[in-house]
Amino acid sequence: MAQVKLTNVKKVYQGGTVAVQNFNLDIADKEFIVFVGPSGCGKSTTLRMVAGLEDISGGTIEIDGEVVNDLQPKDRHISMVFQNYALYPHLTVFENIAFPLRLQKNPKMSQDEIYERVTSAAQVLGITQYLTRKPKALSGGQRQRVAIGRAMVKDCKVFLMDEPLSNLDTKLRNQMRAEIILLRKRINTTFIYVTHDQTEAMTLGDRIVCMKEGGYVMQIGTPSELFDWPASKFVAEFVGAPMMNMVKCDLIKEGKKYFVNPFGYKLPVDGEKLALLNSRNVEAQPIYLGVRPEHVTLVREKKGASFPVTIEVNEMMGSEYHLHVVTEDGTKLIVRIPTINLSEEERTKMVSGEVINIAFEGKAMHFFSQATEYNLLIDNQYLADKEPLNNSPVKEEAEEEIHQEESSEEVKEE
Amino acid sequence: MVEKHSMSMSKKRTIGNVFSYIALSLISIIWILPFVFLVLQSFRCESTGVVGYVLPQQWGLDNYIFLFSPDANFLQWYFNTFIIALFVCVLQTAMQFMMAYALSRFRFALRKPLMNVMLVLGMFPGFLTMIVLYQVLKTIGLTGDNAVPGLILVYVASSGMGYYVIKGFLDTLPKSLDEAALVDGATRMQIFVKVILPLCKPILIYTVLTAFMGPWGDFIFAACIALGSQTGMNVAAGLNSWLSAANISSNFTHFCAGGVVVAIPVMVLFLFLQKYYVEGVTGGAVKG
Repeated sequence: MAQVKLTNVKKVYQGGTVAVQNFNLDIADKEFIVFVGPSGCGKSTTLRMVAGLEDISGGTIEIDGEVVNDLQPKDRHISMVFQNYALYPHLTVFENIAFPLRLQKNPKMSQDEIYERVTSAAQVLGITQYLTRKPKALSGGQRQRVAIGRAMVKDCKVFLMDEPLSNLDTKLRNQMRAEIILLRKRINTTFIYVTHDQTEAMTLGDRIVCMKEGGYVMQIGTPSELFDWPASKFVAEFVGAPMMNMVKCDLIKEGKKYFVNPFGYKLPVDGEKLALLNSRNVEAQPIYLGVRPEHVTLVREKKGASFPVTIEVNEMMGSEYHLHVVTEDGTKLIVRIPTINLSEEERTKMVSGEVINIAFEGKAMHFFSQATEYNLLIDNQYLADKEPLNNSPVKEEAEEEIHQEESSEEVKEE
Repeated sequence: MVEKHSMSMSKKRTIGNVFSYIALSLISIIWILPFVFLVLQSFRCESTGVVGYVLPQQWGLDNYIFLFSPDANFLQWYFNTFIIALFVCVLQTAMQFMMAYALSRFRFALRKPLMNVMLVLGMFPGFLTMIVLYQVLKTIGLTGDNAVPGLILVYVASSGMGYYVIKGFLDTLPKSLDEAALVDGATRMQIFVKVILPLCKPILIYTVLTAFMGPWGDFIFAACIALGSQTGMNVAAGLNSWLSAANISSNFTHFCAGGVVVAIPVMVLFLFLQKYYVEGVTGGAVKG
């Protein structure tokens, strides 16, 4: 149980490659933080710096108020689960889990207590019957449980997990993800979790740190903040599956009214987004219009604010259709339609070559400047070229109200 | 038609096999002949010199009995060799492992240049240094009768340079094992002893065997540094002294018996340890 504070943490490798740029983050006691981003974004490097497995090139890392920059991993009171499990192959499952306990000195742990702790951890993880086996006689999921067991028997202040589920198949990954949520309730300590999978990030994290290649922090916020108020085009496209549609067009300002003109159609902006544009007095400019696939609606009868598109690929996912469509001017979009909203007849028409009419939901549109790729409706403190990064998202009151309403639904969908 | 074709195919294969087996048998016979000759001669009792036939006319264990009698220095040589091989085996294995672990796991300044220098140095035959080594050891009094500690020193001194094979093996062990142990609270020494060494069993056996075999069979260095001293010689140098023009007629069969006795411990060692050679122990360390 501890707070972790990273201040201007930087990692520069020999030869000058910068893996992590000025990383600032305050992690509260018992908070579950997820670092997410594509490979090469420095998320694992940051975690390894917290663990003490990687030297820190600049800045400080504090655990529980103590600067740990020069402390050995064993003196940092951390536990870690590795991506490839890193079990000791010559030891039985019991000895693997007992390994950190046997190494403890002052006071040395008694055999009885070691036995007690190992068996209770094994019980929690459901691996009691495998305690006498060697790791090679276990399946991937069981090995991962042993690795988690080894990390949880020790009293630690911070629990680190480096892509623990990425070696498992989808079904097992979903199952283990749920178990990690339960585990978190049981261990009740500070977690830092690294993943490249946005679904894991959304479902597990209290807050998410979204990073980009080159070690830049793009946004830090709750899952719903990232989903509903992505600070930049990068975050918008990274969070959410399928990816958010991005349409190049213009933001047009006419007095107090704002319009966007995707594919030559003029669509009005309304609701909270309009209020925000007005309150921030956003200039007319070329933008990326972002619309999530689930916010593109099927229009049965052609009306003014809808436009025809041709279906290119139809992915039937069971509960929903993912339609890859192309507009009249050649822009490609993805449309997500729940199967339940379609009649039997309509389903047969969702095939390649068919023309359908779609519309954008006005309240769910996102506006990103073409010049900076940042969200026009958020004060962006994550600009890579601006110093220094600030963690606590400075939001306008209006935004706070809006995402409180919207967020719960979106997260459930995920 | 098909049958004919397959017949000719199998015929061809049979002929090919016959030829390969004949060639392999010839090679095996050539390879094994000297040893058979040595064993046969060691049981010859009618004379002790070199003779023009292979099968002994009188069989017996006289030559072996002689080896272990007080008249021969064989036991002294054997003991010397054993002591040298034992010490070298332990020290050299330890040094090579520590060297390989450091070079495999730590990144320090001049690591690469150090490895390159050792690679180049290793290309020079060790014999080039023999005269110098003899002079150095003579100065500190470790030649002649005191050749045993002198030889141990010589064999162990540069042994760290033979780290390549072990490093190659260590490089295949995932680094995350070390890291997991570090996080679990182990010191580097504990990681080495408790995690890495148990996983190195095959390569450990290999290193122990080669470290033992080197001094056990060495002749040139041992002969050079013992320089004729009966108490300082190892078994190879000692046996060789029986082959001198003056001794060969009375000691040739003793030499053969000595050769057989020298081979026995190595054979036992190999038979005992070979099953570990092939045993893979890394299964299940990481995703696999």
